Amino acid sequence: MPDRKRNSDFRVGAAVLIVTAALIAAVVWVKQADLGGRKTDLVVRTRDVGGVALGNPVVIRGVRAGQVQGIALGERGWVVLRLRIDRAIEMPSDPVVLLVASSLFGEWQATVSEYAGVPPDRDLRAALTEARTTGDTLAGAMLPDIAQLTSVAGRISGDVAKVAERVQVAFDDKAAKELRESIRNFAQLSSDLARTVNAQSKNLDRISGDVQAGLKAVNAAAENLNQFSGRVDSATSRGELQAIVNNSQQAARELVATTTRLREIAEGLNKTDSRLASAVSRADSVFAKVNNGQGSLGLLVNDARLYRNSDSLVMELRALVADVKKNPKRYISVKVF
Amino acid sequence: MAALVTSDMPRAISSPAALVGLVGSACYRWMSAVGRGARFSADVLRATGDWRSWRGEFSTHARILGVESLPIGAFIALFTGIVLALLASYSVGNLVPPYFVGTLVQKTVVLELAPVLTGLALAGRVGANIAAELGTMRVTEQIDALETLTFDPMSHLVVPRVWASTIMFPIVVGAAMLVGVTSGWLASLTLLDITTPQFLKGVRIFFMDFDVRYGLVKSASFGAAVALIGCRAGLTTEGGAQGVGRSATRAVVIGAVMILVLDAFWAVVWLTGHTIR
Repeated sequence: MPDRKRNSDFRVGAAVLIVTAALIAAVVWVKQADLGGRKTDLVVRTRDVGGVALGNPVVIRGVRAGQVQGIALGERGWVVLRLRIDRAIEMPSDPVVLLVASSLFGEWQATVSEYAGVPPDRDLRAALTEARTTGDTLAGAMLPDIAQLTSVAGRISGDVAKVAERVQVAFDDKAAKELRESIRNFAQLSSDLARTVNAQSKNLDRISGDVQAGLKAVNAAAENLNQFSGRVDSATSRGELQAIVNNSQQAARELVATTTRLREIAEGLNKTDSRLASAVSRADSVFAKVNNGQGSLGLLVNDARLYRNSDSLVMELRALVADVKKNPKRYISVKVF
Repeated sequence: MAALVTSDMPRAISSPAALVGLVGSACYRWMSAVGRGARFSADVLRATGDWRSWRGEFSTHARILGVESLPIGAFIALFTGIVLALLASYSVGNLVPPYFVGTLVQKTVVLELAPVLTGLALAGRVGANIAAELGTMRVTEQIDALETLTFDPMSHLVVPRVWASTIMFPIVVGAAMLVGVTSGWLASLTLLDITTPQFLKGVRIFFMDFDVRYGLVKSASFGAAVALIGCRAGLTTEGGAQGVGRSATRAVVIGAVMILVLDAFWAVVWLTGHTIR
């Protein structure tokens, strides 16, 4: 029984010691605790630490040199930070501490740098100057991070939201409906206008072509007129225009006389026409008589026997004349004395 | 409410006055249980002063309840760490830098999973063990014999178990924390494209020793609760072997529930208004 108890004691003690030692060693290792006194503390005062938390890295010239060991509120509105860094690290001359966000995921770091190397920001330099003090306490300042920019953007978006709310109040449902209707009408108008423009564009093209042609003609006419003017000028200068005018007057007079004659001829023609109508009427009467067989001509026209007799007579006369010509002495006897 | 009070319900709650009485009775029973538990805890504290009676048994129970539970805690934490690393990478792999896998593994294992999962596992093992052992002693009248011989069962049976459980739970949980973070680190190395510096950066960047203290104190409270519930269930066992089984079951169920209740309690007490800064 005592052996069993001793065995239990040993096993329990071993378990407790091993686990406790392992746990402490793990914590010390993870926290990178200073067990050998190789670290030293820097005290920094600043107005605000931003998102800096315990354990955040301390960086010198981009190299991790320690971590933030303590944050406490100080007197007169200051915040005091305690930075633990390796004792062997050489600090820059005139050191200041900038608290900056190292990523977008809420990680911050304390950057130790020279005052001359601080970004040329007036507010930042003013904050560092204000935080300077005598002794070993370093001056610190916080650089604005994305969260502050986001808060400013949030304020701006809030203002925009207010404006939008007012606009929403001004543009109620009725106004929105009317605006929508107006837009729809405007769209319809635009569509009609576009269709009209498309339809009229051809006419406009044609008109513009015609106008262009007309302009060319006008130009030609102007050129001709110019030439004509030149000729007129030259003609006027040589007295030909007076002659032309005189000739024109003469021609006008002759034209008047010719017109008068033509009028007289027309009157004569009217008379001749009436005479001709009378003659035709008479001829018609004569022809009517001829057709009716009245008179000698009517008989001659309408009686074939008479025609043949006449023809026969003519033929006989021709034979007689020929015979007379041939034998004149037979018929003519001329005696002189 | 009227629809709830129907004719097929018991006659006792068919009237508003009877319903009020039922609520009062339930509160009385619940408060009586709490009071008995508090009185039992007070008796344990009182009996702790009689350290000569229980110090001889302490190491034995510490070995049984704690040392022999180490493999269970380590086994649970081993796979918990692997799964956590893979889950972290799967959930936020492309959204955050890879070293956040280390942060997530460390925070989750140390603050929550190692204490709670190990506590639940030990609630089954330790609670059932204590309840069955004391229940058997009760039904076989061994405890009555002790009382007859003027031995205080509290100081001889309960106190060493309660303190052994209270002290050894943090040891088991601490080992589980180490195993869980280590397994998450190894999983990140072998299964994920995360290097050791990246994982360590994630572990260190938000690590605070408060996390470890929080997990260990929480696990100590779990151990005390599991042992107290097991002892109480065992000492109140009635009815032979069936009663022992019921006591063991009751001890495991109440112990598991109490672990979750205490987990929420410590979160409210220590994490409310407490940021990582």
